[in-house]
Amino acid sequence: MNGGLGYRRNWRANRGLFLFVTLIACAGLIIASRAGLLAPVEDALSTPINAVSGVFNRIALGINSSAGDLAQIQALQRRNSELEEALAQFQAELVELREIASDYQRLSDLLDYTATIENMQFVTGDVIAIDQNAIFRSITINRGTRDGIGIGMPVVTRQGLVGRVLQVSAGAARVMLVTETTGNVSGRLQTTRAEGSVRGAPNGNLIMGMIPLDSEVREGDLVVTSGLGGNFPPDIVIGQVTSARQAENGLSQEAQVRSLINFDTLEFVLVVSNFQPIDLSVFDQATGN
Amino acid sequence: MRTIVGIVLLALAAVAGSTFTPQVRVFGGQPDLVFLLVLSLAVVSPLEQSVTWALIGGILQDMLSLTPTGASAVGLVLTVFAVDWLRGQMFRLGVINLLVLTLLGTALQKFTIMMISAVVGFSVRPVEIAIYVVAPTMVYNLIFLFPVYWFARRLSRRRATAQRLTRPY
Repeated sequence: MNGGLGYRRNWRANRGLFLFVTLIACAGLIIASRAGLLAPVEDALSTPINAVSGVFNRIALGINSSAGDLAQIQALQRRNSELEEALAQFQAELVELREIASDYQRLSDLLDYTATIENMQFVTGDVIAIDQNAIFRSITINRGTRDGIGIGMPVVTRQGLVGRVLQVSAGAARVMLVTETTGNVSGRLQTTRAEGSVRGAPNGNLIMGMIPLDSEVREGDLVVTSGLGGNFPPDIVIGQVTSARQAENGLSQEAQVRSLINFDTLEFVLVVSNFQPIDLSVFDQATGN
Repeated sequence: MRTIVGIVLLALAAVAGSTFTPQVRVFGGQPDLVFLLVLSLAVVSPLEQSVTWALIGGILQDMLSLTPTGASAVGLVLTVFAVDWLRGQMFRLGVINLLVLTLLGTALQKFTIMMISAVVGFSVRPVEIAIYVVAPTMVYNLIFLFPVYWFARRLSRRRATAQRLTRPY
């Protein structure tokens, strides 16, 4: 008995061996997690953690918004007067656009075409955590497979595109944000219809690259999803152009895009539950790419 | 420190790290409360206990992140062993040692996660992450180190006193 205890102490007293065994244990955890063997344990552990996160997040957002409210009152007053001016201008445009919309409706009825957005089904989710490693820009929501959420589903708010579901458990899902630097979304400028590829910038904004040189890019232009690539439905707002310049390679233009969403204070999101991303990799395999 | 108290504290630090601290993010940097708590506990606890905190803290962090379970634990475990090694080299760990451990440990923790993420198939951009995530996190961790260390030391002393009082003669 004593010999057994002594042996246990001895191997831990050897620092090198102790470190090696601990790192092997970590590697085992990582491999098991990637293989999905830990999924039941992870689900069981994440359920109470996500519940507590939900409560903490509401408190954090409450505090943040109270503090922000005080600071923003002056800015809001200025913004209000600007918006009143803009409103007057937009009302005139609205009348014109209504005319165009009614023409469009008549034409689309003729073509038996319905706008994609009208066919979308949403599942509302509360944001319960923000990825704390910050290496990946992701959020956790309190909806999972039980609510019909699947991997790849687009996530939006009324202000536009949030991202897409990357991991999902029974009661929660992780959403990779559109501002993630490693992600790419096919985008289109709403006014000129010029196509491009939108990715996250390191500073948290977005960059729309690959815009043809002959396309006009204006400050304030809205960038929407194009639907190319099959990962997102078309015509979801991604953001607004703040500036544009020629790309470093000189072959295309690059626009700085600001999302209309404040990702650090997101409370609710909508998951497009009836959109299935299309896997185009099968064509790459067929052509040997 | 009792294991259950440690687990609850680490869980609270992990949850606070994904709810409260993102509100003070500069670029992608924010105080890493789990790292700071594990580092502080490693300074005031024996190695075996510190390794337990590192593993539990890392797993809890990964529960709230895209990284695979265990990825955050690797950096924490290496930091804990670095603390133990340094403790063996000198009479006591001073403020400068703590600051250096915080800076190097933060970088080690983030780069380990990044490397593991790259190995398991995520695409990462090391230079951008170093500038926009690691550097601001280092600064934040230096600021938050002292309150967290003070808290861990008080907790450890209280426990030591309680043990002395309850020990039979």
